[in-house]
Amino acid sequence: MTIAAEFIGVSQSFGDFLAVDNLDLKIEEGKLTTLLGPSGCGKTTTLRMLAGYGTPTKGRITIGGKDATRLPPEKRNLGMVFQSYALFPHMTVAENVAYGLKIRKVSEPERSRRVMESLDLVGLAHLAKRRPKALSGGQQQRVALARAIAIRPALLLLDEPLSNLDARLRVQMRSEIRRIQAETSLSVVLVTHDQDEALEMSDTMVLMREGTIMQQGAPEQVFPAPANRFVAEFLGYENFIDDPRRGLLTVRPEHLRVAASETEPAVASAGLRLPATITSSAYRGVDLVITTAVLNAAGEEIPLVSTVRRDSLAADFMGHNRGDKVTVYTRDVDLVALPG
Amino acid sequence: MKGRPLIGTFAVLGYIIMIVPILFVVAIAFTDSQTLSFPLRGFTLRWFGEAASYTPFTSALLSSLGLAVLSTALALAIGIPVTLAIQRGKIPGKSLVEGLFLSPLVVPELVVGLALYQQVMVGLNQTALVALVIGHTVILLPYAVRVTGASLALADPFVEEAARGLGASPFKTFLTVTLPLLRPGIFSAALLSFITSFNNVPMSLLLQSRNFHTLPITMLDYIQQSYDPMIAAMSTLLLAGTVVIAIVAERTVGFAKIFGGINK
Ligand SMILES: Nc1ncnc2c1ncn2[C@@H]1O[C@H](COP(=O)(O)OP(=O)(O)OP(=O)(O)O)[C@@H](O)[C@H]1O
Ligand SMILES: [Mg+2]
Repeated sequence: MTIAAEFIGVSQSFGDFLAVDNLDLKIEEGKLTTLLGPSGCGKTTTLRMLAGYGTPTKGRITIGGKDATRLPPEKRNLGMVFQSYALFPHMTVAENVAYGLKIRKVSEPERSRRVMESLDLVGLAHLAKRRPKALSGGQQQRVALARAIAIRPALLLLDEPLSNLDARLRVQMRSEIRRIQAETSLSVVLVTHDQDEALEMSDTMVLMREGTIMQQGAPEQVFPAPANRFVAEFLGYENFIDDPRRGLLTVRPEHLRVAASETEPAVASAGLRLPATITSSAYRGVDLVITTAVLNAAGEEIPLVSTVRRDSLAADFMGHNRGDKVTVYTRDVDLVALPG
Repeated sequence: MKGRPLIGTFAVLGYIIMIVPILFVVAIAFTDSQTLSFPLRGFTLRWFGEAASYTPFTSALLSSLGLAVLSTALALAIGIPVTLAIQRGKIPGKSLVEGLFLSPLVVPELVVGLALYQQVMVGLNQTALVALVIGHTVILLPYAVRVTGASLALADPFVEEAARGLGASPFKTFLTVTLPLLRPGIFSAALLSFITSFNNVPMSLLLQSRNFHTLPITMLDYIQQSYDPMIAAMSTLLLAGTVVIAIVAERTVGFAKIFGGINK
């Protein structure tokens, strides 16, 4: 594995506020790495340090094996796509894409060829003569992408590139960016606070909280085995059960089942079963969301959430009423033990 | 305006109140009579000829033009760097600086004029021209700062970083990104400043001297002594000049943008 960039013990503070705290991170060459975490956890600050828009207060950053900690942005050869796109309003789409090439003194006709090549990659060659103002949000985003790719950057940095797009376009652009990454075999760092986006797009996902890394790895490694409660909650595990024998356990709502009686065969083979009381039941399109309350070892009521696909319910299922006594259970394989 | 007859009526009324007196002045300029009176008699271009060859007017016009050009240039020379510092700089107390440069909008012009009269003309023994250039520059600064600033404030704050990321040095970024973004603002600020200086009365009234009069002051003086259509002809010429400038401004940047800049 080749390392495209590396953070070594990097910290960044604003005044006495520590936004990034002693970060160690390797960005793998030719892979797509996502920085994922809640608002304010330091994703943008991390990305901006990599791009050269902020200097670490501590630690080192290397790009392509060379120290870049204090290198100004124009000497890093990175392609950055800003959340607001930051297109040059006084230039056409083609001029925007050509900007970095002109600076690099790439002469015609090579320059035009590479502009069109980049625009082709994002499917916007037919809009080359337009001004950014005359483009939709999704098109502007793709121009910003083309502009960043045109300079053949060592790394492509994307700060929440999809957050300004509507839901449908957002999902469409995920695979689009993935395709472009595969075609160009660029090393990409993508910032997002959307877990689905990270799971779908990442080769490596890095979960951050308050300036530190909570867990990193391939989605297939991280998703089924969150390292702690924060990661679990962030990835949509909603049920946390303190088991006297096994410690803190977590189950996803879609893996928690609800049985009207304890005698159902599936309950008998369950890895965990608890008596519970229905507190609410809500319709959510494909799913039914059932909230129950169980008593924990200390005698406190804790809420558990179960989502059931409605098409999996028996035809004669009459629904649950508030106060019904039920049994919640889950298979052993769906139980995740959290350390600590 | 459809379905809102009341508002429509008021708007039309407003235009009539503003435009009709101006039309009277223009009409009188072509009248073949010795006084500013109605009904109009005859048609002549004589008054335009007289206005153009009346030395006090022509020399005052040159003074006014010179003063407007000088103070506009100065206001921009000071205002543009201030705008850049406010909009893009990392200076502490930005709002204080901004407030300082916008304050001439609220301090009465007569007060500034009086201060300049005492300090510059009497105290430092300078000519009226020097005092007037300083005075007008002070009046124009808020426009220069605000209108140029508006064009930057509207732009994405990350475009300069984007340029740096694409390989441009700070200087190259300024030349290829910041300056082009600033250009329409500079142009509007220049036009607005020029017109403001050219039409200014209070400051010019206070700081005039025996051998330096601006055009509006000279015209005021003239009206006090004689009352003939020549003054209407002169006003019409000024009006024509202003309309031309306004059309140029509208064609290149648009009024909404120019005036949108003042009340941000
Ligand atoms: N220039 C700055 N001055 C002071 N504090 C800052 C500055 N930039 C960021 N911060 C603070 O640092 C923390 C991390 O900010 P950052 O922008 O990196 O978060 P983020 O993870 O990108 O969040 P979001 O998802 O909302 O974009 C935040 O608490 C923020 O308030
Ligand atoms: Mg951010």
